[in-house]
Amino acid sequence: MRDLKHLIEFDDLLQEANNELVQQAKNEGKRALGYTCYFMPEVLLDLPGCFSVRLRAPRSTSPDIATYYMSNRTCMYGRCLLERALEGGYNFLDAQMATETCTVTCRFQEHLQMMDVIQNPDFFTEFTDVPFKKNKNSIDHYETQLQAHVLNPLKEHFGIDTSDEAIMKAIEEHNELCRLITEIGEYRKKENPVITGYEFQLIMLVSLCCPKYLIIPKIKEVLEDLKTRVPDEKNPYRVRVVLAGSENDDPDFTKLIEECGALVVADRHCYGSLPGREEIEVREGETPLRAVARHYLENNECCRFMEQHTMRERKDYIANLVDEYKADGIIVESMKFCEYWSYERTIDTLIFPKNFGVPTCSIEKEYVNNAVGQLRTRFQAFIESIELKKLNAGK
Amino acid sequence: MKKFIIGLLKVLGLTYVILFIVFYFDLDGKFLYYIWEPNIVTRYDKMKKKDNTKTPYEKKENVMPDSEVEKRTFN
Amino acid sequence: MKNFTVKGFLNQFISVQAGKKVVDDAKTGEIRDKRVSIQERIGNGIKNFDLKKTIDVFLNGRPHEERRLGDLYIGNTGLYKHREWRGFKDTMYYFNMIWLYNYGHMVMDIFKGDEPLAFFKGVWRYRWMGQTYLSVMHWFDRGLEGLRGEALKASAWHYRAMVSETIRQFMRMFAADKKLHLGMENEYWKKTIAHDETVSGNIFYPWRDVLDDVPLQMIPYFVSCHVNNKTVLNYIDAMQSIGLPADPCPMCQAESGLFVEDDYPDYSPVMVTSNEACDGSVATSIITDWFLDRPLFAMPQPMRFDDPLVQKHCQEEIEECWKFIEKEMGVPFDFEQYKKYAESFNKLTEFEHEKWDVAANTPYYPINGVAQALYRIYYSQDGDREIWHETDAHVKKILDKCVKNKIETFPKTRHRAIAWSCAPLYYSNWCTWAYNCWGINTIINMDSLMFDQMLRTDTYEHALEDLATFNELAPMRSMAVGGHEHIFQLWDYMERFNCDMVIMYDQLQCKGMQGIKGMFEDEFRKRNIHAIWVPHALPDKRTVSRREIRSIINDYMTTVMQEEPLDPTLLDFDDSESW
Repeated sequence: MRDLKHLIEFDDLLQEANNELVQQAKNEGKRALGYTCYFMPEVLLDLPGCFSVRLRAPRSTSPDIATYYMSNRTCMYGRCLLERALEGGYNFLDAQMATETCTVTCRFQEHLQMMDVIQNPDFFTEFTDVPFKKNKNSIDHYETQLQAHVLNPLKEHFGIDTSDEAIMKAIEEHNELCRLITEIGEYRKKENPVITGYEFQLIMLVSLCCPKYLIIPKIKEVLEDLKTRVPDEKNPYRVRVVLAGSENDDPDFTKLIEECGALVVADRHCYGSLPGREEIEVREGETPLRAVARHYLENNECCRFMEQHTMRERKDYIANLVDEYKADGIIVESMKFCEYWSYERTIDTLIFPKNFGVPTCSIEKEYVNNAVGQLRTRFQAFIESIELKKLNAGK
Repeated sequence: MKKFIIGLLKVLGLTYVILFIVFYFDLDGKFLYYIWEPNIVTRYDKMKKKDNTKTPYEKKENVMPDSEVEKRTFN
Repeated sequence: MKNFTVKGFLNQFISVQAGKKVVDDAKTGEIRDKRVSIQERIGNGIKNFDLKKTIDVFLNGRPHEERRLGDLYIGNTGLYKHREWRGFKDTMYYFNMIWLYNYGHMVMDIFKGDEPLAFFKGVWRYRWMGQTYLSVMHWFDRGLEGLRGEALKASAWHYRAMVSETIRQFMRMFAADKKLHLGMENEYWKKTIAHDETVSGNIFYPWRDVLDDVPLQMIPYFVSCHVNNKTVLNYIDAMQSIGLPADPCPMCQAESGLFVEDDYPDYSPVMVTSNEACDGSVATSIITDWFLDRPLFAMPQPMRFDDPLVQKHCQEEIEECWKFIEKEMGVPFDFEQYKKYAESFNKLTEFEHEKWDVAANTPYYPINGVAQALYRIYYSQDGDREIWHETDAHVKKILDKCVKNKIETFPKTRHRAIAWSCAPLYYSNWCTWAYNCWGINTIINMDSLMFDQMLRTDTYEHALEDLATFNELAPMRSMAVGGHEHIFQLWDYMERFNCDMVIMYDQLQCKGMQGIKGMFEDEFRKRNIHAIWVPHALPDKRTVSRREIRSIINDYMTTVMQEEPLDPTLLDFDDSESW
């Protein structure tokens, strides 16, 4: 396949949190708002006058100082973020819109709050309490929290317009982006897709890390380009897989899977689009904020939800992705030291093959991925096992 | 009767002394450590147990749909 | 050769070798030397015999510095060559009022239970039961080692209460357990609510007279681990055997392992889980739900509990839980029952505050670190029960006596320590050792400081409000996660309890605590505080052994504090195979 438009540029943008587009938006007087988790609705951080940046720590090596503060027994994502913050990599941030949705990212954000890490006189950290359920009580609570800990501080600190009209405008822009990404993602369902999982992840990541108004035009062009892109005559991939799991902002991990011969056709992880890029629907009689609160709880498959039916439904969600994207198997990854996903991954690995008949590969990885050789062996073995299964089924 | 009471006191006294010996020389601990525990552990190790990972994992209904939750009032 | 056995051969061989050694020793004169040495020792003994001192030791026991408690252990077993002679009065108290009394009650309480026969079935069926129950008196021994007088009495009452409540709980579990009743659901099963051990018993007050609530993991894992730390390892291993990595919190691993090992009693038609205390607890709900496979209600608490805006949400979750119980158990909510038990619980809290006052401001507090910590976490989590009131009545008498007569209960105190973060379950009695060896007296610990709010009962709204706040400040949750503000309350508590040293538990697999470790280090340095980091892995002694914990404290005390031990025999000993 020929190179996809903007792809090299996207790759470049992902090399720094404070990338070219972020700098451009800052120069235009907009406020940069950091966040780490899907539970912080990015749409509210993209109100006119500010923009969201989902934090990553690209090109991290050994987070030594952060390891002093957070020990070497915490998730490396949290530590790498802190290290990058200590290095000055997030000094462009005007605020950190924090959530205590997992312990380690919470602690990272508390370091930003307590230590004078971010060298920006305007900087502040504000925590939002996020519920564990999707019921009415939780939506009410979430809405109250978003008003009190996102909208109000933005208005107080930076004079951001947080009116319903402003939120509606942000929702419209957000929905436009979601439509684009969804349309691009649809190409992954084709038998011989014109886009790889790696390419898709780059697009998805820039949509999270760059100001929306600057990245949308580029993504539009990518979509146009895809419409005329011709796939390789012979599909180079031996199997198709759903990639599920915890925090994963490393396109090279997806690339590694694909180099081994498995095309990643669906991304159900913290930085993925399933769910994540569904349009926000504002129902009749609903305020835009209410719609946002409801949307981010309902369209959410985080393993932090603990209602009985929700816990069970999220397995169905992945199983449906397997059907919808005609996948042959699932790769479930979790970041080392991630409490939530350690359990979820263990159960997924047992349940999917038994209850849904889907081969599943279980991977524990680090944020700084040095175990490429071992992972390659694991992926190759998994792919071979699927192929063998297919052969046996053919008999 | 007197003889019986004296006999009873003797038995109780002797039992008390024996118990004190058991207590002081930690004979209860030694019995449990060297005899009881190894034997009972062998039993548990050999016990056949259900493989719970075979428990089916099926969909469940919401145990508390919102419609069932109303505000409670007391005076 | 017909009667030849390897065993017989080896016996003969060893005897021959021993005989040869005797002959050799006789030739070299070593035997004679030994005889001379024994004669000399007896001679010296007679020569140095001090009748007055012997009587004094008989009556009062040895002075602290001469006790040599470490010499009493047999190898690495933790067993005693003989139990400590504490002086006539205290030894007899220990024998009569602790050893005999508790063994007696351990039998009697079984027969007072709902179905005595179920006890034997339970012992036969469950590893955590059969392997731990009988070794309870050794748990007393470890926790009460070296104690004298009022401290011995008060601490022992706390232990006694925990045993009694444990028996009550497992007897109820066994009476209702389907597994012990050929898979049949009996009336007890229908009238028992199962809940996570981290869900407070206070939630279930509205049904206490009609239903019973028993935490699922409290006895099978938590309590049993304190008594005999070997059982829990099976559950941790079981969880890892189905693919869980080793790094998540081992407490959550052990709780889940009970299901994998099929070692949980099936005693209730429902289950109430919670996100207390951390991410691991949320994650284990998935395992609990899968393996229990019955209506399960999750009652999460808000994470940012200092925010007044979270209260309404928390209250509604509690109300939903109540509705769930009404619906599933078919018994209506009874606010009067709630009031009755909450008011009764307030009395326990009142006395707790009184105890803290004495602990903080006087040297007369008669409860040692381990008894204080375990009793407090147990009763506050369990909620109101008769046994806690009985115990508090006993302890109050002792406390009042100590204050009135100015009895210094821990006279060898060199340092008043506060223990912070979560304690090692397999070595909760480290503070007994620390006092005996170094004079480090653990005055208070983090988990004891929670659940101390009074519960208002004048209106339903007030009751709900207080219950919500109460649950938000649950043990571990309040400090280890949910915002750094609470965990740094350490400095205030140090001052309040007049402590000069921090024993900083370093739970290696607690992400909440590990994630803030460096800031603690910075603060300790800034404030010039003596803090000893004690690494451990909650129930798993294999990660950091008890001996290693002692060695870390020893190193600090000798190199940093430059102090001499009170009892050098306790510095280093092997208890790797003890309970």
